[in-house]
Amino acid sequence: MIELIDVKKAFNHHRPNEHWAVNGVSLTLEGNRLTVFQGPSGSGKTTLLTLIGCLARPTSGRVRLDGKDVSGFPERFLTEIRRGTFGFVFQQYHLLRGISVLENVMLPGYPAAPRYGTLRRRALELLERFELAHKAHAKVEWLSGGESQRVAIARALINDPAVVIADEPTAHLDTALAKGFLTIAEELRAQGKTLMISSHDPLVCEAPIVDRLVRLRDGRLAESA
Amino acid sequence: MLRPAILALLFASTLTSVIIAAAALFGAHLLRRWDLRSGGEGQLRLERRTYLVSTAVGLALAVQAVSLLLFVYNADRMAELFVGAMCAVGTLNVNAYGFPALQVRIALFFLAAVWLVMNHVDSRGYDYPLTRAKYALLLGLAPLALLQLYLEWRYFLGLNPDVITSCCGSLFSAEAEAVTADLAAIEPRLAMGLFALSGVAVIAAALFNRRADGRHGLLLGGLGAIWFVVTLVAVIAFVSPYVYEHPHHHCPFCLLKPEYGYVGYLLYLPLFSATVMALGVAAVRPFAAVPSVSGVIARLSRRLSTAAAVLNAGVVLIVGIIVATSNLMLLE
Repeated sequence: MIELIDVKKAFNHHRPNEHWAVNGVSLTLEGNRLTVFQGPSGSGKTTLLTLIGCLARPTSGRVRLDGKDVSGFPERFLTEIRRGTFGFVFQQYHLLRGISVLENVMLPGYPAAPRYGTLRRRALELLERFELAHKAHAKVEWLSGGESQRVAIARALINDPAVVIADEPTAHLDTALAKGFLTIAEELRAQGKTLMISSHDPLVCEAPIVDRLVRLRDGRLAESA
Repeated sequence: MLRPAILALLFASTLTSVIIAAAALFGAHLLRRWDLRSGGEGQLRLERRTYLVSTAVGLALAVQAVSLLLFVYNADRMAELFVGAMCAVGTLNVNAYGFPALQVRIALFFLAAVWLVMNHVDSRGYDYPLTRAKYALLLGLAPLALLQLYLEWRYFLGLNPDVITSCCGSLFSAEAEAVTADLAAIEPRLAMGLFALSGVAVIAAALFNRRADGRHGLLLGGLGAIWFVVTLVAVIAFVSPYVYEHPHHHCPFCLLKPEYGYVGYLLYLPLFSATVMALGVAAVRPFAAVPSVSGVIARLSRRLSTAAAVLNAGVVLIVGIIVATSNLMLLE
């Protein structure tokens, strides 16, 4: 369970161009749910996800993960949490060009130092699951948009995280591929994963598999459906 | 004054004292405002900054601890510049600031080392378990660092090669009018007995503490401190005469000279290191019940206790070899 208590995040704090991206959000997010954060551009969706995923620290307020105050954790612990608890699917995917699909998927697994063979087998299983096994040795720059996204999802799952965070996952996909993503999301939830997605795509926000829709505007909760 | 070692010492002292003083100001603010239950902006800022400040202080104190060695080595090497000086004692006696600077440095060395052990444990707990304690210690440490800076500047700026200084023979002899005279006059048999007894006690306490996962850390810390003092007394009372093979030469500083095979470093390095470990184990013991670091403290206590036992056994062994191989007969 993730709990946000009066979380605020300012950029350029105490400067003339100060901007409060998140401004006093209190929220409790249950595990094994698919939660969508909906809101217009600049509403604070991505910032909120980075705070939940321990990629950034709040300016004030607390983020609690299973009762532990992760917003105050020293950096060495945040690294462990990011590595073990969260899997990230970024809007631009951020796959590393110049190396293969398989190496991209394996990359987040290296710091935990599993046996190379085990890690490779796990990565190949994920690629198989997302019907990308035949592309394992292809360079990522040769992939289509849909394939790139599935590689990004496979990479997010390599450490078997409890929570998968996806930032605007369907922003660059056509309808068929967006529906394909929702099918994957449903499978992940069925496996017990918690999913947190930011999106303003109606196809995602209105999908029947969504357990909870959190609406944001100007860094605040607009309403929670 | 323009010797590279002096410049390095003054630079290190100045830099580290500035860092420690600035960190102490931060520490005073932290002790007033620290409240982990709060999610306020000020508290989160403190949490972020403590990481940076602790890293800077850790580096500064590590430099402080290591530079003690350079200070002593330099004092010994400079003896050739002063008329009457035979070793570091003569150099430190050139003016009134030498020995106080050394004493404050030694005190600072132990406090710094204890702080580093506390910081090591604190950085391994996710909930800042020793943060308040280590900044409280830093508040005590900062004035000492500034005092040391003052004494060291006064000492080095006041070095006058025209001064005829006194050698160690006048300070560490039974006839001198100082506490060192009492130490030099201690009956060797008594000093040896005390040394052997406290050596066995501190090694046993370290092994005992290792088996108990650090539960007897305070005992080890106490015995470690006693052992440190007893060993220094033993060095003056009987180890030095055995090394010099001269019943009236009690100087603990001449042991650092090349003509005696630098045996002083062989003695003092393990002694100081083992004492730091014993004190470190004792310092973190009160936090052993904190869930986030109880395992860390148990593991660290085992490691430090083992190291302290080995190093102290090394000290006993070296003293044993010195006594056994010397041509001097102090005991009939």
